[in-house]
Amino acid sequence: MERSKTNISDETKTAYLFNAPLIIVAVVFVLVPVIGTIVTSLMRDVTFLPEKFLAVENYQRLFSDRHFYESLQFTLLFVVVSVSFELVFGLAFALLLNETLPFRGFLRVVILIPWVIPIAISARVWELIYNFNYGIFNYIILQLGISDQPVSWLGSSVGAFIAVVISDVWKTTPFMAIILLTGLSAINSDLYKQAKVDGTNFLQRFFMITLPLLKPVLIVALLFRSIDAIRIFDLIYVLTGGGPGGSTSSLSIYAFNYYVSGDFGYGSAVSVIVFLAAGLLSVLYIKFGKFRETLQ
Amino acid sequence: MNVKLWTIISLLFMSLFVFNSCSEKDDNFSIWIGGSPEEVDFWEKVINDFNAKYDCNLILVRQPTYTDQRKQSLIISLEGKQQNPDLFLMDVVWINQFIQSDWLEPLDDFAVKSKFKTEPFFKRVLNLVDKYDDNLFALPVFMDVALLYYRTDLIVQPPETWEQLKELSLRIQEEQRKTNKSFDGFVWQGAQYEGLVCSFLEFIASNGGSILQNDSVKINSKENIAALQFMQDLIHKYKVSPENTYTEMKEEEVRREFQKGNALFERNWTYAWQLHNSNDSNVKGKVGMTILPHFKGHNSVSTLGGWHIGMSKYSDNKEKAWQFIKYVTSYEVQKQMVLTIGWNPGRKDVYEDKELKKKLSQLNLLEYVFDNTIARPTVPYYTQISEVIQRNVNNCLANKIPPVEALKEIEIEMKNIIKIYGEK
Repeated sequence: MERSKTNISDETKTAYLFNAPLIIVAVVFVLVPVIGTIVTSLMRDVTFLPEKFLAVENYQRLFSDRHFYESLQFTLLFVVVSVSFELVFGLAFALLLNETLPFRGFLRVVILIPWVIPIAISARVWELIYNFNYGIFNYIILQLGISDQPVSWLGSSVGAFIAVVISDVWKTTPFMAIILLTGLSAINSDLYKQAKVDGTNFLQRFFMITLPLLKPVLIVALLFRSIDAIRIFDLIYVLTGGGPGGSTSSLSIYAFNYYVSGDFGYGSAVSVIVFLAAGLLSVLYIKFGKFRETLQ
Repeated sequence: MNVKLWTIISLLFMSLFVFNSCSEKDDNFSIWIGGSPEEVDFWEKVINDFNAKYDCNLILVRQPTYTDQRKQSLIISLEGKQQNPDLFLMDVVWINQFIQSDWLEPLDDFAVKSKFKTEPFFKRVLNLVDKYDDNLFALPVFMDVALLYYRTDLIVQPPETWEQLKELSLRIQEEQRKTNKSFDGFVWQGAQYEGLVCSFLEFIASNGGSILQNDSVKINSKENIAALQFMQDLIHKYKVSPENTYTEMKEEEVRREFQKGNALFERNWTYAWQLHNSNDSNVKGKVGMTILPHFKGHNSVSTLGGWHIGMSKYSDNKEKAWQFIKYVTSYEVQKQMVLTIGWNPGRKDVYEDKELKKKLSQLNLLEYVFDNTIARPTVPYYTQISEVIQRNVNNCLANKIPPVEALKEIEIEMKNIIKIYGEK
């Protein structure tokens, strides 16, 4: 009795020891900054004014700020639209690459290329593609005679929104595809064989076998992508800079502009909102995705 | 494998300490400068000369090319009260915020001690941006203004008023479009970015308008409405400025259009002159340069740009830092700067240099323009105001809202900003 007790506590100790690096990293690089940001968001922290405790004044200002709501609206719309497209295309690519194709290994590598290119660089490339004077889009429509005037793709709110979505979908669909592919390859192929014997068609097999068994992986992929999309910054910063007229200013861009101008308090308040939105989103996914059940 | 990995990790750690000990050597001090590679290369040479001459150990830290990113890295270090950088270059519009954030060391005591004179500098410029409460906080290293570039092969006499510019643009544009479809009358900076505030300020001020006077908002005036209406009309009514003016036109886009031979007039900073006259330019030898036009009954103005040098309050090597400020703003280095990278000196007396005048015919014009330059609002919350102006003026140029509404919106938002940031 005595011995086994010490054994257990030894085991626990070892477990803590093994987890220590991760816990330390999480505390230092996640918990401390998050708490710091929350504290700053309650202060008047402007470089050229004396510091002052404001309580919730930054948040009051936030909720009466029209541009904050525009940012929020843009960000949520962006998350819904871009993640939906990424899901559809990602699933299509995953299903395709799961089949026995010639050069499958090669194709699986090739599809990852957009994901490997740093976002700032791919955003710059897309900016050149959309460019009014020498972009390839305008070159094509002028050459094909679709229009005799070049189109200012990034010049209208709608155009800029579509441009941002296309660039993001191009960039992150591979991520979706690869995660879903691992999910697909984990499905026992005997199930399909049996279903085929029972005389089911492709669609029936997809909805009866693939989708239910893929669900846990699907939820994880959606969760990752949604959290990533809600805090989108770099792509927009390089591609449109938040324009035209602030119409593609995501919450992170909005917060960033306040940091750069020296108002850390208000910028932090916006960041806290991004943090809460991402948190809320994960809770919703986990709750409605019945994450725990499917895991078991 | 494991042994190898540990060796690498411990080597990395050791290298950390080695680098650390270097930067703590007490006679080191640093200056942060960014910009294009040629510019930074020039500064590297200046700093090497300085180190050799005064036996100092000034280190150049290269910042990014983009102005916003340069400001960002400075704000982070200064807000964190870091000893580095000791010295840095500031865009004119940052200076007031840096002063009021208490990041800059006043230079008066150093100046008195070393018998440094400010007379050779443009008095107007020092008063506009470098001085605050009678203290000197920065000195101009290089100055910039916007000018009107025009095609000498297409017109003889440059326009004096905006009205004349519009008439000439309409006429020449019609002629040129017979052979060159992408020809436009007038290209200027209208995209949503800092440059738009500069163009906007020039239009309104050359109609007698202003943005802010002693913390009171003067934006919604009939002068400003008329000027903004004219800006919008250039694109949508007269159609002498291209449709992408408000989406893409920044300095380089404007310069390239003009340099390709696709425009009669161009508003741009002084740097475009050399490039327009370079060998690969389509308009080489066909370019004239003059002051910007004005509205009838008012004067031409040009927005002040450029970079000024300042010293951090947290520097631990202030005497040596001052030595470098004196060196950089000296007659010799300033003259060298014009000759090497073509920047306009911050000192007035260099404009009188006989050798330079022979080589560079534009110096007389520039000296005149610098004496008549205007500054963007010198308030610490300038960034916020600039954002509001950029967004609303750009919306107006996109023809989404009329000028009256844009200016009314700017007025409301500016008053709100002053309410939040104006109190002490």
